Parts: sequence; structure tokens; C-alpha cells
Amino acid sequence: MPINDALLNVGLSHYLILSALLFTLGLLGVLLRRNVIVILMSIELMLNAVNITFVAFSRYSPTANMDGQAMVFFVMTIAAAEAAVGLALATTIFKKFREVNIRYFEHLKG
Amino acid sequence: MQAEFLFAILLLAPLIGFIINGLRWKSKNYLLAGSIATGAVAISFIAAVLVVMKLFGADAPKAVTVEYFKWMAVGGLEVPVAFVIDHISALMVLVVTGVGTLIHLFSIGYMSHDERPSKYFAYLNFFLFNMLLLILGENLLLMFVGWEGVGLCSYLLIGFWFSDKEKAAAGMKAFVTNRIGDAGFLLGIFTIFFLLGTVSFDEIISKVAGMPVEVGWSGPITLAALFLFIGAMGKSAQIPLYVWLPDAMAGPTPVSALIHAATMVTAGVYMIVRLSPLFILAPNALHVVAVVGAATAVFAATIGITQFDIKKVLAYSTVSQLGFMFLACGVGAFGAAMFHLVTHAFFKALMFLGSGSVIHAMHEEQDIRKMGGLKKYLPITHATFVVGWIAIIGIPPFAGFFSKDEILWKAFSSPLGHKGLWAAGVIGAACTAFYMTRLMALTFWGKPRFDEHKTHPHEAPPSMAIPLIVLAILSAIGGFMGIPHVIGEILPGHPGNWLEHWLAGSIAAPAGEAHGSAIMEWILMGISVSIAGLAALLAFSFYVIEPDRPKQWAARLPGLHRLLENKYFVDEFYFERIINPLVSGSKALWAFVDVNFIDRATFVVGDFVRGMGSTARTLQTGNMQQYALYISIAIALMFVYLLEGPKRLAELFGG
Amino acid sequence: MTADSLLFFILAAMTVGSALVVILASNPIFCSLALAMAMISVAGIFASLNAWFVAGVQLIVYAGAVMVLFVMVLMLFDLKDEVRAFSRGLVSGFFKIASVAVIGGVIAAAVWMSTETIFSTAPAAPTVNATVATKQLADLLFKKYLFSFEAMGALLLIIAIGAVALSRIEGGTHADK
Repeated sequence: MPINDALLNVGLSHYLILSALLFTLGLLGVLLRRNVIVILMSIELMLNAVNITFVAFSRYSPTANMDGQAMVFFVMTIAAAEAAVGLALATTIFKKFREVNIRYFEHLKG
Repeated sequence: MQAEFLFAILLLAPLIGFIINGLRWKSKNYLLAGSIATGAVAISFIAAVLVVMKLFGADAPKAVTVEYFKWMAVGGLEVPVAFVIDHISALMVLVVTGVGTLIHLFSIGYMSHDERPSKYFAYLNFFLFNMLLLILGENLLLMFVGWEGVGLCSYLLIGFWFSDKEKAAAGMKAFVTNRIGDAGFLLGIFTIFFLLGTVSFDEIISKVAGMPVEVGWSGPITLAALFLFIGAMGKSAQIPLYVWLPDAMAGPTPVSALIHAATMVTAGVYMIVRLSPLFILAPNALHVVAVVGAATAVFAATIGITQFDIKKVLAYSTVSQLGFMFLACGVGAFGAAMFHLVTHAFFKALMFLGSGSVIHAMHEEQDIRKMGGLKKYLPITHATFVVGWIAIIGIPPFAGFFSKDEILWKAFSSPLGHKGLWAAGVIGAACTAFYMTRLMALTFWGKPRFDEHKTHPHEAPPSMAIPLIVLAILSAIGGFMGIPHVIGEILPGHPGNWLEHWLAGSIAAPAGEAHGSAIMEWILMGISVSIAGLAALLAFSFYVIEPDRPKQWAARLPGLHRLLENKYFVDEFYFERIINPLVSGSKALWAFVDVNFIDRATFVVGDFVRGMGSTARTLQTGNMQQYALYISIAIALMFVYLLEGPKRLAELFGG
Repeated sequence: MTADSLLFFILAAMTVGSALVVILASNPIFCSLALAMAMISVAGIFASLNAWFVAGVQLIVYAGAVMVLFVMVLMLFDLKDEVRAFSRGLVSGFFKIASVAVIGGVIAAAVWMSTETIFSTAPAAPTVNATVATKQLADLLFKKYLFSFEAMGALLLIIAIGAVALSRIEGGTHADK
């Protein structure tokens, strides 16, 4: 029984599908929300989805391969940096308009 | 101590000195800046000595290599940041840090009246760091980083007094001329990587070890060797790229001593010696190297005879001596090239520093027609300069004799050598003896030709005198590291040729029998020394005993004199034939082709793009979520295409 | 169901559930709390993959530092419940959801189809002792990826300075028109 098998034996594909689901949810958040901070949170979700993929591949690669976990560190660093800059931008926007709606970023087009 | 640790100190000390002095670049405290810089280089020198010590001993390794980390890994190319001291780079690193320390020390006195001493010392330290990268780098890419770095520092230091437009232009000239050589060097690196799939010296040498000697001109190794030699030509000022070096004398004199005499300009020779197992496989490329070297040696020496700027004379002398080194490389005598590199670093640094002392004493006067009789005022400078003079004209037992004579002998006897190359070398040596004696005579001997009541030459302060004395001692005894066998045999204790022994395993030697016997070597040695001696005597009689004779001779041979005095009109030729045609040609192209075709074409394209843009700009709303939507739609389409696209398209159009 | 797969499904459900709350809740504070929950669940997922060290870092960096940053900013802004949490536009909304659904569907399908062929035969690599694994990771980071690692450090420094510089700007980057 394939269904039973899928429930019993958790493997690489389970993690990849979980990651795909998380990524899609994050993308939806980025596309649909108006609050800049929530958009930033959704981006964090997407990055986490990518991290799950890295770690899963690292675990299930035929030869024990830690490169995937090393990549996770770089992704985390980038994520932290991105959050810092994004929030600083949000602060700047908030100071000006007293709100953090994404549409105020339209002013970026100059 | 650990090699990793020592290498780190060796490399980082000058870098740290650079950072410290660079951060306090506004400071005018020349003593502090100079002490920091000199201390940094001295530490580097000590570390170098400690590393080189590891190479001595019965079971010592052939090379000490350390690898710090991977720099880049792209496909088959893996470049670590690794450094090596073997028997070749040991010599070079000791010369660079040792002479470098002395020149830094000298600079403290020389730059005491300058406006920006911190900047000066920062550049000098940075130069040394790059030079060490060049020397110690274990692969061609690291060497190239150092190669470019020293070029940058050279540019900065030549144009150090950039408020003088001419000096700034000299820096630019050096930079641009070197670019041509660097392009060749890069092509050489590419060729080697393409050919051997590696840039590490160790791997290159082990990979070419079994290869046959290439005949003809179009083989890959010949090509790589010629490209690399173009790089060496630029950096080491060989015909036709030598023009920048005489102009480079616009920089402060210690810079000329360090960069444009002792270290940087010898990088080309060092690179060829380093890759000698590769060059030896391309005899045709080596012939080119030898001929260019011999031609440069004679050519620059003849120009040196008519120059009146004390530093210009020394600059042409440097070009000429570098020619000798390339001549040695070209005949397969890489050991002799290394030997002359070392002794030349000693005596030429000495003479440059001596000239610096003279210029300092004469209040920035560089014209030797306005000097004379300085022996009385500058006894130490004079005494040390005399040592340098004897060394360079090749009178035994001073350093220059041994190294120059070995080159001449190898040019004659090596399987790759030729009598013509030997003859050119002897002529170059004779000219060298002539112009150097002339320089001595006009500067130090005879009657003063300046107003003794207005100008009061003063002897150098200790910080300038000590480097002079140390270098003079080295110039006097430096030659004993490479005593020729024929001389060693008659000396008590039969000292062997230490340098040859030291380098034996690290450099390649040309295949084939050397011709010429010991008797022949003695005869040739006698000929070259006596010709040099005669030339020196001639110059002495010209400029000291009968000071009117040069003018008579100049009047008798006006054409030759004009030719030499104007440096064979090479600069004019370059302007006339290369730069001006390029400029006027580009102007013509601009007026016709550019306006009529290229501009029109760009306007058409521009109008088209503008039309498209005005349509597409409606998409650019500034709404970032809309942009994100475009991205996600595009990704979705791409995915669908990747899964199903090719099949569907084939079904649609496949019939 | 074995204990392992049970754990995975619980963690996966927690992750997806809290991610849903992040993108659906109208109060940003709820969003941030849900995000913290999602981070912790992802750390659990890492742990279930034997990546203990990464799991720890995930807890410290994400669930700790980054979340604190978000909450601090939220507190600074003092935001209330949003009246309209989602951007308007029926057509674009449809396209947004549709494109995302296609992406997610295609990824899932691709994974489902390919794992059968590629990975089902290859069992997971033998489990390594957590200490050894961490040591291997350190070896990678400080040898093979040393340059990138240092570059990351430089990047973080620049970002820190940039963020400070940005937030010091008074009232936006544009002059009032």
C-alpha cells in the first residue's frame, strides 16, 4: 500500500514537499500582505523552506555530506542581514508616514 | 618555530606597518612613521631569516610550503593561498627584506623635510608586502596579485610629488607601459592553465618535467614562454617597453633604489628563473630572451654615456644591467641571472642611495654638470660610491666582477650561447665602465662647478650613512657566494661555487655540452676585465685629466652624439609612430565612421528602445507586490515549460 | 506509524499551521508569535534530520535574535489590528494565488515523481555522532568555505552600519513635495 508506505517511511521527499509547502505559503504572504513587516516575516519563511531543503539533502545524500549544512549558515547570515536592512527601511518609512504599508514603497520609483 | 607562524609574520608585518601609517597619514612626524615602517620591514627580515634557516642542514627540505586557505575553486581550477620558500625564493626574499630594511632606514633621513612622510612610508610598506606576495606566492595567480600590487605602489611612489605635473605624468607612463606587459603576463597564465590545467609552480614544474624540448615557434610552451616574457619585459624594463624606467626617476630617490633598481624591476628575471624548467623547453623563446637582453644591455649603456641627470644615468644603467640578467636567462644560465640579480641589488641600491645622499646634500640638484669636487664634502658617500663603482664595472674581487663575468662566460660557453651574445655583453660592460667613471668624475672629482659660497653640501646623517656603509660592504664581498671554479681552484682552500650548488636542484640547465675550456675562461675573463678597465681609464682621462676632450669628441661625431643624447629618439618615435597615429586615426574614425554610422545606428536603436520603453513603463507602477507577482508568474511558466514544454512544442511544430 | 514518522508529521503540521497564521492573521503581533512558532518547529525538523548544531543555531539566531528584532520594531510602531490586511485587486489576487499554486504544485509533483526513481534506493547516510558531525561542519566552514565565511562577516558589519545609518535618517529619504 503506497499510502501506508508514505505514512510509515519518512524520507527525503517528505521533507522536500514540506519545504515546497512552506515556500509557497511564504510567497503567498509576500504577494498578498500589505504590512511591510509581515512581508519580511514571509520572506523569512521562504528562506527557512530553503534551509530545510539544504539540510534534508545533506542528510539523505548517499555519501555523508555536510556542505548542505554549511550553506544553511550562509543563508541564515543573509537572512539576518536582510531582516536588519528591511526593518531599518520599514522604520524610515514609518517615521515619514506613520504606517508601514507596502504601498508607501511606491515612492521608491521617484 | 612553526612555518605557518613565521610566514604570517613575514607577510603581515609590512601590511600592518602600511595600515598603521596609512591610518595616520596626516601625521608629519617623519621619525615615528619611519621607525614604524622600518621596524615592520626589519621584523619581516628576521622572520625571513628564520624561515630560510629551515632550508639548511643535512636533511633539510627542498622547500618550506604553507597553505592557509582555499582562495577559489572554480571547475578544475583550485587556487589555494599558499606560500613557498625554496632555494630560489630564499635568495630573493632575503635580498628584498634585507635591502628593503636598509632603504627604509635611509628614507627616514631622506624624507625628513617632506610634507607627507606617513603616506610615503605607508606606500613603501605596502610595496614590500606586495613584493613578498610576488616572491612567495606558490602559484601564478598569487604572483600576479603581487605583480599588480607592486605596479600600483610603483605608480603611487613615482607620482608621489604629484603636484608637479611632469612627475604625475611619469607615474602614469610607468603604469600604462606596465599594463602592456601585464596583459602579456595574463595571456601567459591563461596559456599555461589551458596547457597544463594548473597554476601552481610545483605542479607546473612536475608536469613539464617529462615533456620533450619544443622545436619551432608555434608550440604551446614557446607561446606561453613568449607571453610570460612580454610580462617580464614590461616589469623589468626591456626593449621595447623600457621607456618608463628612466622617467620613473621622478619619484623620491630611495624609491628608485628600492623599486626601480633592487627589487621590483627584477621581478621579471625572478619569474623566468622560477619557471626555468618551462622556459628550457622552448629554446626559441630563450633565444628571443637572450637577444632582447643583450640588445637592451648595449642600447641602454650607450644612452647612459650622454645623460647629465645623475639619476637618469643610474636608471639607464639599471636597464642595461637587467639586460645582462635576461641575457643570462636566455642562454640558460638561470643561476648566473639570479647571482647578478643579487649583486646588482646590492651595488645599484648603494649607488642610488649614494646619489640620493648627493641630491640631498646639493639641495635637490640632480644635474651632474653642476656638481664636481664633492669628494671633499661628502667623504662617506664618496667612499661608498667608489665601492659601488668598482663593483659595477667589474673589477675583481668586488661583487659585480663575479656575477657579470659568469654571465659573459655562460653567454660564450653555454649550449644556447653564442659568440655574438658574448661580444655584445663585453661592449655593454665597456660602456658601463665608461659612463660610471664619467659619473664619478663629474660628480665627485675635479673642481666644484657650483657656487661654493651659496651651496654648502653636508654629509648625510647617520640614518643615511649606515645603509650606505652596509651596502658597500655587501657590494664588496657579495661576489664570494659564487666564485667561479677556475678561480676557486687556485685559491687556498679551494672554495667551491656556493651559489651554483645552492640553486642546483631548483633551476633547470640547458641540455647539451658546454664548450670552452678553463684556459678559454681565463682568457675571456682577462679580455672583459681589461676592456672594462681601459674604458674606465679612457673616461677618467676624458673627464678628469682633460675636461675639454668630451666636447671635442661630441663636435667631431655630432650625429652619434645627438642620437645618444636624445636616447635614440625612442620616446619621439613612440609618439610619432604609435601614439600620434593612434590619436589622429581615432579622430578620423570619429569624424567619419562614428558620426555617420555608429551614432546613427545608436539613434535608431535608441528610438526603438524608447518606443518599447514607453509601452513597458506602464508595467512599472512602483507597486512592489506587482513586481513580485511578475516574478512568480515567470517562475510558474518556467516550471510548466520545464515539465511539459519541450514535448508540447515538439507536438505543435514537430510535423 | 513509527515514532520517527509521527514526530515528523507533528512537526510538519506545526510548521505549516503556524506559517498559515503568519500570512493570515490580521494583527502583526499574532503574525510574529506564529513566526516564532514556525521557527521553533523548523528547528525541530532540523533536529529530526540529525542536524543538531544547525537546529541550535536556528533556535538562537532565528527564534532568538531575528524574532526579537521583529517584535522590537512592532512595539516601536505600536500597530493595531489592521483593517485591511491584504492588498486589493480581485484579478491580480487571482493571478497571485494561481501562480503560487502552480509553483507549489509543480514542485510537489516533481519531488513526488523523482524521489521514487532517484532516492528510494539510497537510504539515509549512516548517522554520525553529533560531536563528530559538528566537527565536520566546523572543518568545512573554517577551511573550505573560509573565504566566504569571512566575507559574510564583512557583510554583516556593513549591514549593521548601514542599518544604523538608515534608521538615523529623519522622516524618509524624500523631500516633501
